[in-house]
Amino acid sequence: MPPFELYTPDSIEQALEISGNLSRENKEFDWIAGGTDLLPNYKWHINSKNYVISLSSIDELRKLNNVHIGATVSIYDLANSPTTHPVLAKAANSIASVMIRRSGTVGGNICLDTRCYWLNQSETWRESIDWCHKCDCGTGADCRVIPNQNTLCVATYQADLAPVLMCLGAEIHLLSHKGKRSMKLEDFFELDGIKRNVLFPGEFITHVSIPNDSAEWIGDYQKLRQRDSWDFPEAGVAVLWKTNPDNTIKDLRIATTGLESIPAIHHKEVGEALTSWKGEDSVDDLADSIRKAVKPVQNTWFSPNYRKKMVKVLTKRAFGNLLVE
Amino acid sequence: MSKDKDSKEIQGYRQQPGKLPFSKPGSGGKNSFSKPIDLENIPVSQNGRKDQPWGPHRHDSLISGQVIGRPTALVDSAWKVTGQAQYGDDIRLPNELIGRIVRSPYHYAKILSIDCSDALNLPGVVAVATGIDAKNKFGVLPVTKDEHAMAVDKVRHAGDLIACIAAENENIAREAERLIKIEYEILESIHDIEDGLEDSEYPIHDRGQYHIGNSNIQKRVFQEFGDISSLEKNTVASHRSNWTFAGVNHGFTEPHAVVANWSPDGRLTLYTPQQVPHYVHRSLADVLEIPMHQINVHRTFVGGGFGGKSDPFPHEMCAAILARKSGRPVRITFDREEVFWVNRGRHPSKIEMNLHADSEGRICGIETDALIDGGGFASFGHVTTYYNGVLHTAPYEIGSFHYTGARVWTNKPASGAMRGHGAVNSRCAVEVGLDDLAEKLEVDPITLRLANLLPPHSATITGFRVTSIGMRECLERVKKESGWSEKFRKMPLGKGIGVGCGFFISGSGLPIHWDPNKFPHATVHLKIDMDGGVTIHTGAAEIGQGSDTVVSQSVAEVLGLPLDMIRIRSRESDTSPVDLGSYSSRVTFMNANAAISAAMKIRDELIKAASDITGASLNSLIVGDRRIFDKNDPAIGVSYLEALHKSQEEKGALISSGAYRTPPMGKTHKGAAAGLAPAYSFSAYVAEVSVDIETGKTTVDKVWAAHDCGKALNPLAVKGQIIGSCHMGLGQVLSEEMRYGRSGHLMNPDFLDYKIPSIHEMPEVIPIIVESNDPEGPFGAKEAGEGPLLPILPAVCNAVYDAIGVRTEELPITSEKVFKLVEKKCRLQGISNPLDLKSPRLEFSDLQNTLDKRAQLHSKRDIERRLNSNREEYYNGAIFGLEPTKSPEEIDDNWSVRVIPEENYLLSPRLAGSAWKHIERRNMGD
Amino acid sequence: MVEFRLPMLPQPGEVVWSVKINGIDVKLNIESNAILLDVLRDQAGSLGTKRGCDMGTCGCCSVLVDGEPRLSCLTLAAELNGHEITTVEGLANGHHLHPIQKTFTEFGGSQCGFCTPGFLVVSSALLSENNDPTDEEIKTAIEGNLCRCTGFQQIVDSIRAASDIIKENNSIEDSTSAKSNPHPGFMEGG
Repeated sequence: MPPFELYTPDSIEQALEISGNLSRENKEFDWIAGGTDLLPNYKWHINSKNYVISLSSIDELRKLNNVHIGATVSIYDLANSPTTHPVLAKAANSIASVMIRRSGTVGGNICLDTRCYWLNQSETWRESIDWCHKCDCGTGADCRVIPNQNTLCVATYQADLAPVLMCLGAEIHLLSHKGKRSMKLEDFFELDGIKRNVLFPGEFITHVSIPNDSAEWIGDYQKLRQRDSWDFPEAGVAVLWKTNPDNTIKDLRIATTGLESIPAIHHKEVGEALTSWKGEDSVDDLADSIRKAVKPVQNTWFSPNYRKKMVKVLTKRAFGNLLVE
Repeated sequence: MSKDKDSKEIQGYRQQPGKLPFSKPGSGGKNSFSKPIDLENIPVSQNGRKDQPWGPHRHDSLISGQVIGRPTALVDSAWKVTGQAQYGDDIRLPNELIGRIVRSPYHYAKILSIDCSDALNLPGVVAVATGIDAKNKFGVLPVTKDEHAMAVDKVRHAGDLIACIAAENENIAREAERLIKIEYEILESIHDIEDGLEDSEYPIHDRGQYHIGNSNIQKRVFQEFGDISSLEKNTVASHRSNWTFAGVNHGFTEPHAVVANWSPDGRLTLYTPQQVPHYVHRSLADVLEIPMHQINVHRTFVGGGFGGKSDPFPHEMCAAILARKSGRPVRITFDREEVFWVNRGRHPSKIEMNLHADSEGRICGIETDALIDGGGFASFGHVTTYYNGVLHTAPYEIGSFHYTGARVWTNKPASGAMRGHGAVNSRCAVEVGLDDLAEKLEVDPITLRLANLLPPHSATITGFRVTSIGMRECLERVKKESGWSEKFRKMPLGKGIGVGCGFFISGSGLPIHWDPNKFPHATVHLKIDMDGGVTIHTGAAEIGQGSDTVVSQSVAEVLGLPLDMIRIRSRESDTSPVDLGSYSSRVTFMNANAAISAAMKIRDELIKAASDITGASLNSLIVGDRRIFDKNDPAIGVSYLEALHKSQEEKGALISSGAYRTPPMGKTHKGAAAGLAPAYSFSAYVAEVSVDIETGKTTVDKVWAAHDCGKALNPLAVKGQIIGSCHMGLGQVLSEEMRYGRSGHLMNPDFLDYKIPSIHEMPEVIPIIVESNDPEGPFGAKEAGEGPLLPILPAVCNAVYDAIGVRTEELPITSEKVFKLVEKKCRLQGISNPLDLKSPRLEFSDLQNTLDKRAQLHSKRDIERRLNSNREEYYNGAIFGLEPTKSPEEIDDNWSVRVIPEENYLLSPRLAGSAWKHIERRNMGD
Repeated sequence: MVEFRLPMLPQPGEVVWSVKINGIDVKLNIESNAILLDVLRDQAGSLGTKRGCDMGTCGCCSVLVDGEPRLSCLTLAAELNGHEITTVEGLANGHHLHPIQKTFTEFGGSQCGFCTPGFLVVSSALLSENNDPTDEEIKTAIEGNLCRCTGFQQIVDSIRAASDIIKENNSIEDSTSAKSNPHPGFMEGG
């Protein structure tokens, strides 16, 4: 574990004061909540900072109900709460292992660092490949996944909550010593494995809000992985829809994860499909267009080709309930 | 109790039922009365009621009915469940230093210089050592010592050791790692296993005059036995496959850790979680240049071994060197990544398997070619190269056997011994091959196996002596209990059932590092003082398999004592007799035999004392629960303590020593000793699977696992071994692989990406114990630790075929690989939706009847042979019409025994066979 | 090759750490960035808490924080000031084992024993929440724990057996009670 000073504020105000001071002194720091993502990376000396501020003692960030999910609500609590949307609960319950879910938080899962075979390794290991572009940038290291470039990082976003939250139309609420802001979750992510999202240094997530109509959305979350414990999603597809009283589709949203550097909500493909919806046949075509829309690379357990093909299968399976009805 | 009997006068040592005599010093405690003998646990040969379908055993008369055969908690389990068991990293000595190892970032490089001055100048760094501090080589096999404590001239794989540091704490040690400056000259590294066969400018090792050409071939084997010449003529169906097996790691939960401490008298104590403390002992003496008696190797609790803690390791040398230099205890603990660098896991392998059947459904030929990837060092590889061939010469009777094997060095972490050593991959290929052969012959694969088994008390084609063999019972039990006949080739698409078998050595007949003519394989000492507790001294390494328990049970059984009266000291070389360690599944067979022999000596003394006291004859006295009494009149007898005190009168504490050595056996050709064992275990599994056809994901639903362990001394532990083996084997078949990236890097040296199955992947396993009562095994027992792993791989592969009609030739079969096979099959059949594929079906041919009949005849033959002690010899080959009582090479001119290839073989050798194209340097001329 | 390794020194400053470990108040000076597992093993003397992977993928380091299972290898110690920690050493009541400890020995839940503390801690939490768990509940509760020896089956057996002991309110014998008498008398019938 590289050396760092830990701060454990017990109120938002205190946290902002500490972060404000560190920012003014130009000291780099990280936020930590559950630590299940940050600490393994720190142990491997991946982008560790000299200062870390823990949000885990701040009770205000732990509020949970059907429209408000605090950033440090544990994934375990989210998964087991009766107020949680069933598809969100399913996705939450599928995350890693129960031990990780006990510690890991909603905010941490949304902000999950991107992952790559050539990145998530020890310092000695990365030294042996002459370092990695994402975490050892000072070296001017090349990208090992797409060689001969060190501009875009293609590390993969492998978190499960975001696609379901995006389909539910969730908003994310951010706070820093400079003030607060909110946005649709789908606008939170920024393409690039290093940048990942809009958070600037010193800013953190306070909570996610779920629109009031969430109960009307039904659907499914399907994910691909080798083992049913521990493994990150190699592909994840959330499909949620609203139906009219006559059971025809009123609205439909599809989002994917585990395939690119950020999760994606597929408005274009869904929009095109809905203009001429023909039931089961349309599902097949739509699933195929989702497959075409995603661009995985070779940096996780399964090959990109297989993951793409599985996106189609998972999408169709997520539609299973709709077709039965 | 009749009044009449009650009023009888007590004569001599006749005891009154239910009444305690005066207590003896040191007695007291619970259970004041001896339990009556449990006849259900006494074999019929001793007038008990325990059936012996396999006949009597030489140890029958020693059975007191106490502990053997009863599910028994491991004797050290209380330490484990309370957190008080001390594993390697739990040894904390006062004033300890933390050791860290500096490792190579390069696959293959010459070390030009090492500058440690900055590191040594860092406050808190106490000692630094490099290769020049220990120039002597070591290695687990005396013939292939090729390791140094730290690299002397070059590093051979990324992660190879270069230097080590001892510092006041871990942070300082890790900081010092950064400060050691090393200059390298990078050499061209070899990663592809096939490249290892070629001549190289800088072979990874130099074997001097024994070097094979200029190649990286570490070991090559050629073996040809049997009727090769008529193979082509007789064959009616053949199977051929080319397998690729990924390397796998033991994945034990405890990372390597070691503590070294030199005491004020100049002796070294090394605390290490070792399976084989004795070889570390020898290697330390070599490397440190001190005599063995100056070293005490202390085996800590071992957090899983599976073969991965059986080599003497460089980090163990490093700790001793650092502790010597610094004058303080040094503790080194590995990160999980370092465990993968030291590896010694199962070899990545390429295996070509050819099986041939004749018109009678006999296996007239097995031709195997195995090229195995040894990584940077020899380790156990010499043996592994043999095992890949010779360990599939049973349980089937075969007409001919042709094996070419080669092990090459590559610039990867070294491969070594892992549970099922050398047998697992080729066994998988054989058993999948048999499934395919059965398909081609249109017969049931279980029947095909049942009709081709070697009988009890026979010899394999390579001359291994087979004693007990419960293979037939294993197959019959799993067939019946799985409902095989209703399921095989009858289940819907995506559901399948498959069978696999295995056989494994129960201890190595010729141990490494030992002169079999001078030393026993295992020795056990017993000491009993006046308190009555029995102290066992053994060097057998308890690694969680229950070695301490089985040795304790054996002594308790013979002496008629409950386990709480036994205490075992098996940790330190200072106090334990030398033992060769926990490898090759030898502990139960050899140490329990040695323990029985030691306990028999004590038992004789106790019986003699009891006879002296009671006047009863030696022959009529038997040992029961803490009591020695007349078998005809149990009231006449003495307590265990009385007998003990009587026999101590003249000589003080009772002390005995028992030993076990394998009998002479086997043939004399080069390599004849590899695979030779005093007994073999056998197993047959049936696995039922579901395959998700759209994703390729294989789920194993249920496994029926029958294992012939001779006699389950502790059924709880045997079942634990069977289920645990299934888990480990499932890992290799479904998801585990050491995955190397395109630049030769190990991509997954961690438990997130090295995918050991979780509880959700684990099927229900029905363990079925078959007891074939081995004549030489302790109470009839054979091994149960490694053999049970073998059948699960092919059983799952065959079940996947039954489910969706595709055969894999590559492990692990991740969902991606199955998906690709399904895609390919769909393409070939012009099917767009894989759900439209047809399930495989099989109509039996007439041969099925023939095989059924032969299996029934053989079943009778086998029962006769196992019960008749005057049976005649049976050599492999009899099924083909040869005289069973003669070794075939003596009577059949066509029967070859060849261990060096003929010139015409080299015109078109198989892959590993091409290793023989090279000439050893000593034969190169000039 | 570029020199890029991060420095490990200077070590971070120390903070005062007050917690309750296995019912006993403990006050220690720990490094600000200390990981709970390291503090437990190196400073608090709980060597029963094991380090298997250090990355949250094996569960050997599991402990209870205020009764809830947590991976101590991924927990910053300083965050737990004022909380209550239970390790494997805190499960038994003196020499009376916890039912789960007893059944792990008797039903083969422990082979090499290295993963055992983690499994015990996690399953004791399960059983105190739910003394009659279904197989699925047991599986989920231990899905974060890796065992390489047992194949899990005998672990599940052990948990089920412990659940029976707890439901029936049976007590576990003191392990220091007298063992077998080496000088027994004769009872007729054998």
